[in-house]
Amino acid sequence: MSVAVDVGDRAASRRQGGASRSLRRSGDWARRVPLLPALIFTIVVTQLPFVATLVISFMNWNAYYPNERGFAGFANFRSVLTDVAMRDAIITTIELTVTVVAVSLLLGLVVALLLDRSFLGRGAVRTMMITPFLVVPVAAALLWKHALYNPEYGLLNGVLKGVWGLFGAAGSAPQPDWITQMPLLSVEIALIWQWTPFMMLILLAGLQSRPLDVIEAARIDGAGSWQIFRYMTFPHLRQYLELGALLGSIYIVQNFDYVFTITSGGLGTANLPYAIYQTFYQAHDYGRASAAGVVVVIGTILIATLALRTVSSLFREETSR
Amino acid sequence: MASVTFSKATRIYPSVPRPAVDALDLEIEDGEFLVLVGPSGCGKSTSLRMLAGLEEVDEGSILIGDRDVTNLKPKDRDIAMVFQNYALYPHMTVGDNMGFALKIAGNSKEEIGKRVAEAARILDLEQFLDRKPKALSGGQRQRVAMGRAIVRSPQVFLMDEPLSNLDAKLRVQTRTEIAALQRRLGVTTVYVTHDQVEAMTMGDRVAVLKDGILQQVDTPLRLYQQPVNVFVAAFIGSPGMNIGHFELDGEEAALGRARLRLSRATLDALREEGADRLVLGFRPEALEQVGADEPGAFPVQVSVIEELGSDAFLYGALTDIPGSSVDGSHIIARVDPSRPPAKGDVVHLRVRPGMQHIFSESTGRRLPD
Ligand SMILES: Nc1ncnc2c1ncn2[C@@H]1O[C@H](COP(=O)(O)OP(=O)(O)OP(=O)(O)O)[C@@H](O)[C@H]1O
Ligand SMILES: [Mg+2]
Repeated sequence: MSVAVDVGDRAASRRQGGASRSLRRSGDWARRVPLLPALIFTIVVTQLPFVATLVISFMNWNAYYPNERGFAGFANFRSVLTDVAMRDAIITTIELTVTVVAVSLLLGLVVALLLDRSFLGRGAVRTMMITPFLVVPVAAALLWKHALYNPEYGLLNGVLKGVWGLFGAAGSAPQPDWITQMPLLSVEIALIWQWTPFMMLILLAGLQSRPLDVIEAARIDGAGSWQIFRYMTFPHLRQYLELGALLGSIYIVQNFDYVFTITSGGLGTANLPYAIYQTFYQAHDYGRASAAGVVVVIGTILIATLALRTVSSLFREETSR
Repeated sequence: MASVTFSKATRIYPSVPRPAVDALDLEIEDGEFLVLVGPSGCGKSTSLRMLAGLEEVDEGSILIGDRDVTNLKPKDRDIAMVFQNYALYPHMTVGDNMGFALKIAGNSKEEIGKRVAEAARILDLEQFLDRKPKALSGGQRQRVAMGRAIVRSPQVFLMDEPLSNLDAKLRVQTRTEIAALQRRLGVTTVYVTHDQVEAMTMGDRVAVLKDGILQQVDTPLRLYQQPVNVFVAAFIGSPGMNIGHFELDGEEAALGRARLRLSRATLDALREEGADRLVLGFRPEALEQVGADEPGAFPVQVSVIEELGSDAFLYGALTDIPGSSVDGSHIIARVDPSRPPAKGDVVHLRVRPGMQHIFSESTGRRLPD
């Protein structure tokens, strides 16, 4: 029925010749115009804040000195890169990101290798392994800060007491103040806890896409478990490792929740996002905060470009197989 | 080099009640090219993988030479395998693919290089040694997989349908190359295929499997001439054998107007069985075109004539017994290619005396003729 109508339509438009073309064009517009508000809204919401940040980053704009507002050139960037606090923040960011990504990748790989074997209840274990990644970051950070690290009632010190108690020496159990004694490490451990499942998922997908007959061929060629891992699994996983590292880096460079919640940026744990927050809300130096934000964005774009390249090379490999 | 012995080897997959390979007894001589053939799902790959150590042996044992390898790991069996999809190591060059086993075994770089170069020369792969497998054509990949097997000079080659991914022409060419290479190297080879033409042309002996049970092991010619049961008779040969369920009528087998005199030995065997029916098989070349009043001649309506130049095959239907039991009453006969009958003609055919195969209807086994 609809086919017949369609054919009739087309015949009619052919008869009208040139008139139909302009008709079609106005028809196109009639279809597109209703989409325009959504498009404009999307642009405003996603692109304008960045443009505003970019503009502000070149301005001298501090709420405490309202009269000095004006164009500042690269002064903000210069101060971001030379200011000791900012430079420390950059170094902390790098340290935090590298440690968290490297350790969670390694742990994720170990867990993925264990989960790649079949055993009873594998599905349940896999689901449980993923849950840390599903917890809201702030909630997870609060949990670590209060339920685990707290020196008075935290789980860690409680366990220490319990273990020492087994030997009848509960009183002499070490009760470190975790966050004070190892502030950056505390943040890193909590982040690693949250990010290991993500790495595990990516690597498990990689492991399960290994061609089985290649592994069998290697076994027949005399390779043992370690050699199979070294020569077959690892090269196959390389791209998945890269992908996990890059995606993890993008997120952890921008991490704010954990630093804010666990240490409030104290004791040398302030990373760039936290420093931006401080410059903005405490120093009210909008220009400098924006410049630091732009630095983060540039760093993220660099990492993201590499990430996209890795992903596309993965796809290429997949299709050429 | 070594012989291979399967002795009551059985594989039962968990949660599958019927064994995939059921008490396989098979002796393969040193240097022999043995082909495992059978329909899909009959357990060919499973048998081969049991020999390779990739599949457990649930009962029975497997020997390579005098060594019981039933519980050895694949790497300790000194075998090389060519997989259906070649299973080349994707991130290694052709040279590294072929040298991998030698490297694992701890050979020196020079030794590996020398043996890889030698294998590459034999297989004409010299200009591809630095390429990755994905930059090769299907036929070249197949040769690399062969190369990976031969550089190791193993005791036994195992091949699981190594030609099934090649086009028809290359398959025929590679088939002869593999057979020639095997004769030259003299390495015991077990070769799996579902293609009975491949089996017949390549194998010193052919083992026919069905539902995990070995039906017959014999030279290709004997398999063709003396199939032990109806299954082997129908499976071997292309085009296939005509198989009909005949009635015993005195000393003759009868189906409609088709009649065939039976020998004393056959009649005795049938009497012993108490059967009044039998299965009769005759190959397309066992039929000859005769006049209508010739004794035993039966009319066939020609539905298709397949002319291959050197040969012509007639595909027809028996006219006098509608819905008869000669496989849906279809019949295939080889006819004189210089003057084949035309489509739609009715011709008279007769089974050449002594060229029939007789099987028991109840057991499917061959009866003496
Ligand atoms: N991993 C497995 N688990 C359970 N059953 C299996 C498994 N692998 C194979 N089978 C069954 O065992 C039987 C034999 O399989 P096998 O792969 O040996 O067949 P094949 O003869 O190689 O067939 P093809 O010509 O199709 O490759 C089949 O019925 C198959 O379904
Ligand atoms: Mg198979």
